[in-house]
Amino acid sequence: MAFKGISIVVARCLSSLELLFGLHRGLSQANLRLVADGLAGALAIGVAAATPAAAQEKPGSLGLGIFTFTSGPAAAYGMPGKNAADLIIEEINAKGGIEGVPVRATYVDEAQGAQGVIAEYRRLAADAQNQVMVAALSSANCLALAPLAEQLEVPTVGWNCDTHQLLIDGKRKYVFRPNGNTVPEFIAYAIYLLDRKPDVKTVAIINPDYAFGHDAAKIFTAALKALKPDVEIVAELYPKLGSPNYQTEISRLATARPDVVFSNLWGADLENFVRQAAPRGIFTSSQVILALGETVLQRVPLPDGVIVGVLGDGWWMSPDAKANPETAKFAERYKARFGEYPVFPSIKMANTLIYVKAAYKAAMQKNGGKWPTRAELADAMKGSKVATLTGTAQTRADNDGLVDQIIGVTVKTPAQQFPVIGDMVRYRGDSLMPQAGQDPLAWISTLKPEFAKSLPKPGSYK
Amino acid sequence: MRTIPAAIAVLMLAVLPIAAPWLQFVLTLAIAKGFAALGVAVLLRAGLISIGHAMFFAASAYGVAFLARAGINDLGLLLILSVLAGALAGAVAGSFLVRYRAIFFAMLNLAVSMVFYALCAKLYGVTGGTDGMPVPVPAVFGIVFAEPVFKSVLFYLSLALMVLVGLAVQRYLNSPLGHALSAVNTNEIRLEYLGIPVWAVLLIAYVISAALAGLGGAIAGFAIGRVVPDFAFWTASGHLVLIAVLGGIGGVPGAFIGALFLELLHSAAVTVTDSWNLIVGMTLIIVIMFMPQGVYGLFARKEASSL
Amino acid sequence: MLNAIIPLLLDSLASAALIFFAAVGLTLVFSVLRVLNVAHGSLYSIGGYVAASICLFIASRQLNPYLSFAALLFSAVFVAAIFGPLIERGLVRWTYGKSEAVQILITFGLFLILEDLQRVIFGVQSFYEDAPMRLLGTTSIGGVVYLNYQILLIGMALLVVIGLRLLINHTRLGRLITAVVTDREMAQSIGIDTNRIFILAFSLGVFLAALGGALATPTSGIAPGLGADTMVLAFAVAAIGGLGQIEGAAVASLIVGLARVLAIYLAPSLDAVAPYAAMLAVLLFRPYGLFGSVTARRI
Repeated sequence: MAFKGISIVVARCLSSLELLFGLHRGLSQANLRLVADGLAGALAIGVAAATPAAAQEKPGSLGLGIFTFTSGPAAAYGMPGKNAADLIIEEINAKGGIEGVPVRATYVDEAQGAQGVIAEYRRLAADAQNQVMVAALSSANCLALAPLAEQLEVPTVGWNCDTHQLLIDGKRKYVFRPNGNTVPEFIAYAIYLLDRKPDVKTVAIINPDYAFGHDAAKIFTAALKALKPDVEIVAELYPKLGSPNYQTEISRLATARPDVVFSNLWGADLENFVRQAAPRGIFTSSQVILALGETVLQRVPLPDGVIVGVLGDGWWMSPDAKANPETAKFAERYKARFGEYPVFPSIKMANTLIYVKAAYKAAMQKNGGKWPTRAELADAMKGSKVATLTGTAQTRADNDGLVDQIIGVTVKTPAQQFPVIGDMVRYRGDSLMPQAGQDPLAWISTLKPEFAKSLPKPGSYK
Repeated sequence: MRTIPAAIAVLMLAVLPIAAPWLQFVLTLAIAKGFAALGVAVLLRAGLISIGHAMFFAASAYGVAFLARAGINDLGLLLILSVLAGALAGAVAGSFLVRYRAIFFAMLNLAVSMVFYALCAKLYGVTGGTDGMPVPVPAVFGIVFAEPVFKSVLFYLSLALMVLVGLAVQRYLNSPLGHALSAVNTNEIRLEYLGIPVWAVLLIAYVISAALAGLGGAIAGFAIGRVVPDFAFWTASGHLVLIAVLGGIGGVPGAFIGALFLELLHSAAVTVTDSWNLIVGMTLIIVIMFMPQGVYGLFARKEASSL
Repeated sequence: MLNAIIPLLLDSLASAALIFFAAVGLTLVFSVLRVLNVAHGSLYSIGGYVAASICLFIASRQLNPYLSFAALLFSAVFVAAIFGPLIERGLVRWTYGKSEAVQILITFGLFLILEDLQRVIFGVQSFYEDAPMRLLGTTSIGGVVYLNYQILLIGMALLVVIGLRLLINHTRLGRLITAVVTDREMAQSIGIDTNRIFILAFSLGVFLAALGGALATPTSGIAPGLGADTMVLAFAVAAIGGLGQIEGAAVASLIVGLARVLAIYLAPSLDAVAPYAAMLAVLLFRPYGLFGSVTARRI
């Protein structure tokens, strides 16, 4: 009877699929084929699995698995990434694809949680056409996928993945992150704050309640204490990721009366926090630092003088970006398509895809023009230096990325309806990073005030 | 008579991953959830609906993670200890929960599981907060396999456990203790007049169901390689009940059929639509309204009375 | 000292008001229909989405911004008029007399459907419309700036408690509801149209849920996932107060609000645990809630 049961289950699976296909006619052929492949593989017992990448021959298309949040509160950050990926891939394909092979992306929604993300990753990786995974946005998912990438030997490029824990053991062969990480990102804020407001005494922190928020608080606090030991942390709040309401937290911040409020809230959380905190006077009573503030500049009227940045160099209006015609073109096309200028997650995604493209070029140069295997591709990423839309992405020997950090404060400009970043500084990526293999927190505690003096000052990046 | 098709079904499951390797993960997860749904189904027999069983699922997975962190690195030992952890949690929670019935039982289970969820999510220093904890690859009888091999070992072990544990639960449900569960549902007071301690009957069932959820959780933890608080969120508990009802609470295979059905449908559906919950929700309502025996009831109607 | 206590109390009241709106409809529906509506949280967030959409429309047409207050109320009526009868007639009615498991599962299925429908209709981006909040301005109390809208919400919550009590004790409809709650069969046998009472009571529950969501939009964002979070919170409050007890829900909201605010002020790492810990603590000693009563076991 159970046998009959299974066949009924399978039959139902199939019929519901047919139903789905009927409902989703607009669906890309690629997805259909993926499902069809999967099911054919799953059901036709005795059919051998597709033999993986006998490489060298150029494939008909290059599959990319792109992991981002397309639903939930994190989508406010994830969708700009997906939008940018759509644009860049279109652009690449219009020019004939990567080394003549058209690119085809399959998007995976990270909001389904670690289980679903892992299952999707395995499924995509099992298809030899999918050569590279662009995964992922959330640090938690990156940490969960990294061991898998090593086991399955699939080049996996984190397009966001800020946690410094990702590559800390220096043993990764297939996991890359052509971005900065939490260490340089949040040391940069401590240095910028002390340059701008040297007399700061009390600091309150409100960060999201997961590794990114806790790590950032730890790094920011350690850097502040190392550079100015008498700074006191008067409140540390970690609201749940995706909280819609911060009224009580705002009261708590108001009663603590800190000189500085630091936050690395992001996505819809950041928008909600700003909209709720602004009318209640937090921005006038304290110097506020919004580490991911650039993402809401176009959406929320931020007052002047808020310290904001882009976690890296990915601001589409930075002097370097403006000097690059490709970037300007990208920004205008983005605005035309999506009604908003790109935010830094868009730039991060675009830069990551440029990085992947460059890796293919390098790998094919290395092996005499043949289509690279997954291993050859990973090899080409190691130690690479790629010019991006907004600067350079350098990959160290431990696969960690070096990217400059841009920080500034919000100012009004007649040129735009929304506030922009002024009084900027651009810290060199390597100047804020410990050596490979060094414990980041131990390294931060050795920093001396003289270290900050040697770095560029606010307003120096024009 | 029924064993032959059942054996063929299990055999089919066993060879499926050879044809489609990525399916192995999906199937392992389905079996893991099947164990937990079976736990829920045991309680459903007594008319008790628990919207909190994901807690035991998560507790055991966290147990594995903590034990692994403490240096225990043997699959068998980890499985046994974590199932014991699930059972222990079940005994503690059950000792006061089984006094309640109906909606109060459901809500109290929810309350306990949400406290557990919130603690797992909030105690960043201990549990890693919402990032969860890694579950490393353990040794199997002292042999450390490469990860892909271990995943295969885990899958076939789960498959074997599914058969063995399934048979054991079948026996339990057919024993006087198991029949007493249905009797609680139909007429609890009469059971007490007969001198059967309802409290003990239910506590035993509760511990067994928690242990089953724990077994599922441990397997899921190994398969995913990570345990996160979302394992214990109330919607996860809701899904376990859903699986149990979808498969049909009439018999042991129902829970596993429900889980396989749902996981396979899910992995097929995610590539074509985002509205996965919409499909599940409608399926659930249709099954409850028109197929009260569940999917399993479709082809087990004749045997249903004998279970 | 007083300066520290005033913000704490005010914050507790403000968050209790929001929590009360999330829970009161759930408990009302249970008291009349004996059905625990798991989709209650989704109706709350739908109310929020509809209210935000209408307010955004008002803003985009540059109509009188004070219309947005009317929009908050209207959206709740609108959601109740559509979903109340539809869900009660279409699904919930079917579960009367069935076991709790069936009731919970049917409404859980509805919850899954409504959650995805919202995503399809309203997208995944967070909705936010703060016109009503900005119109009212702020007040500084005890050195902390509060939104006048928060204070308005506290008043609204009080009004709803009193209004519901008046409705139930002093109107014909209220007496009919009481009759049905007390003894369904008897009410039926003396000619009360219980079907109508059920539709009305369920729609009133939907109205209160949607009103809660609508009133929350001006101070907090609406995004996917809100329904699920609201649901457990509503469960917790309803369970603490005693299922079906309206004043119980009010007192329970205060307890949960105070617990959460105390946690944020004194032990921020425990803020998410506080509501459930409060629920567990109460239920351990009073399993049927503070105001609930033990129902007889059937023989």
